[in-house]
Amino acid sequence: MNTVNVFFAKPTLLSAGYRATIAIYKRLSSSLSEEIRRQNNIFDNEQKKQEESIGRVEKIEIEYEGPSDKATLVMNKNISTPFDCAKHLGETIADRSAVALLNNDTLWHMHKPLPDSCKLQFLHYNIPQPALVNKIFWRTCSFLLGAVANSAFKDDVKVQLHSFPSPNVRSGSFVYDVQVTLEDWRPTQNELKVLSIEMIKFCQQGHAIQCMDVSTDLALDLFRNNAHKYQQIPDIAAHNNGKITLFRAGHHIDISRGPMVTNTNHLGRITVANVIKLDTDIPGGPIYRFQGVALPRNIILNHFAYSLLEERARELNPGRIPGSQENFEDNSFVAQVTV
Amino acid sequence: MAFALSTVVARSGLKVLEEKLSTLTISCGSVREKHKLNPKPRLRNPTWFTQKHRVSKDDVVTIENQEFLKEVVQDRFFNKTNDESKESLQNVIWRPNLQRTGLIARKIGIYPLWLKNGKKISTTLLQVLDNHVIKYYPPETYDPPRKRVGKIYNKKGCLLLGAEGADPSTFTREYCGIFKNSGVIPKKTLARFFVSPDAALPPGTLLTALHFQVGNFVDVRGLTIDRGFQGVMKRHGFKGMPASHGVTKTHRRGGNIGGGGEKGRVWPGTKMPGHMGNRYRILKGLKVWRINTKYNVLYVSGQNIPGATNSIVYVYDSKIITKRPTELVPFPTYIGGEEELPENIYDKEVHEFGEPTIVFNE
Repeated sequence: MNTVNVFFAKPTLLSAGYRATIAIYKRLSSSLSEEIRRQNNIFDNEQKKQEESIGRVEKIEIEYEGPSDKATLVMNKNISTPFDCAKHLGETIADRSAVALLNNDTLWHMHKPLPDSCKLQFLHYNIPQPALVNKIFWRTCSFLLGAVANSAFKDDVKVQLHSFPSPNVRSGSFVYDVQVTLEDWRPTQNELKVLSIEMIKFCQQGHAIQCMDVSTDLALDLFRNNAHKYQQIPDIAAHNNGKITLFRAGHHIDISRGPMVTNTNHLGRITVANVIKLDTDIPGGPIYRFQGVALPRNIILNHFAYSLLEERARELNPGRIPGSQENFEDNSFVAQVTV
Repeated sequence: MAFALSTVVARSGLKVLEEKLSTLTISCGSVREKHKLNPKPRLRNPTWFTQKHRVSKDDVVTIENQEFLKEVVQDRFFNKTNDESKESLQNVIWRPNLQRTGLIARKIGIYPLWLKNGKKISTTLLQVLDNHVIKYYPPETYDPPRKRVGKIYNKKGCLLLGAEGADPSTFTREYCGIFKNSGVIPKKTLARFFVSPDAALPPGTLLTALHFQVGNFVDVRGLTIDRGFQGVMKRHGFKGMPASHGVTKTHRRGGNIGGGGEKGRVWPGTKMPGHMGNRYRILKGLKVWRINTKYNVLYVSGQNIPGATNSIVYVYDSKIITKRPTELVPFPTYIGGEEELPENIYDKEVHEFGEPTIVFNE
């Protein structure tokens, strides 16, 4: 029967048993929607194709520079990832590293294959200048918020992810703009709690965030049922030599510009602070801005200080509001270090 | 349905029996031996009880942010004035039968005072801490953790008071949640006081020592000093045996513990060595001789108030019938601020130190 997605009760009726909804969700996680299955199939096939197209395996030399030691690793070109290098160096480094720094200027996703010999450094959350890592962390949080928003609603509510603006940690919240076919939805405290808990549970499953560069055609095929992404893809590709970078966590696939954090279990405390309806002229339904705040797993903050962060995140994020004329220079693919 | 009815009947029948039996029991002098209608209480925590202290690991907060957090606490809890409560409080008129709230105080020392007839009295100083009203439970909704046997006439409401504000990050989130609605800074000490519904106070009201008046009588409840395992001479005041004159091996012992005959056993409640202290005891009918308005101190008669120095005590209007207030008292609490009060308010019988010496005419 309709065991699929009776996940989110109507906004006014949520008080009836969060436990019941969680039980339902556990059953659901095995039965995904057809759309998600289709997308994942395309992703998997493309991954296999790219692996097979490598042909002859060439070796590259990676010079690792740690805080106290150096090492030279011989890895495989276009196959080995920085995460593989980290595994050679030890579990501590592999677990705590959020992102890799190539040749002191390029941020590289940990699960993205290395193209050439280079100098490698691992960045984590406790380094003296964590601004870059913070930005990447914030971007990952937006990405995962999109994943949660996609799967949290009932069947009769149509959800289309739109986009998220460039991560700005100082704004106080990470953001995802989602088109939801609910007129004038004001989330209650319980609903926000449920969203937060769902995000925490999703992250604690420890999905490695995979990365793949694909052609425009494949991306258009993948996102053919999402009108907004379909429109954005040509623009994005134009800024990035015709390639689109896809990221996958669990079963959720999305487009993004820059690197993400290694694994979803790097996220510790997460709060979905607010969902605010935006004033836009995009057809198809109102756009809601999902806002949240999160901390890395190894940073422990007392409840009082964290509550101040949550309060700040409840205000509307000043990030750019999507309109019908928009150029996504934020989602443009320039793999550069920008602060 | 039938089963439920039968249990109700059985319970009400038992209650009637218990009430009748209470008139037949023998009661002894000390509180410990009193035949208890309400038996020794098991630990039942109040409805607002939660885990209080937080295991604080080294928070990764920079020094600037720590300063910022202190500023936030200051802004949120101290830099605000609520005058709305004062207007609503002035409409209540006091009647002798009404019960108003008590206060949380700290016993800070013992000082002598002299009366105008030359007599010296010992007084204990009780500093009234920053008491804020946290919550009021109306009589219908208040659910006491220990329910007493017998019918309660004139059921009172319950006022939850807090004293000694502290940094919220030292407490758990649940404990801070108790104070969220009233907007009061989380407090270290919480206390319940029973009040008549007329004496209910709005959450966030600040109470001071001027809630009491000089010359009125109060009861003070405190936790007695923990003396540990004590012998029968200190614990029950036994006389013991002589130290010499041939007395063998019995100087501080209890002596005989019972008779023989048919009931040849040690009776329950027989005074023996055991743990002494660390119990709540109420000292009744203490007169307030002096109030210091600058430091919020009550000078209360007696030097035997339960508890050590710097321990928390709970002070409320005396329940002794002859010592209840007969004239108007600040009801539901003292609202002032307009008139300039002297730093010390003395009872009319107290000799103020600045006055001329007391002279006895022969």
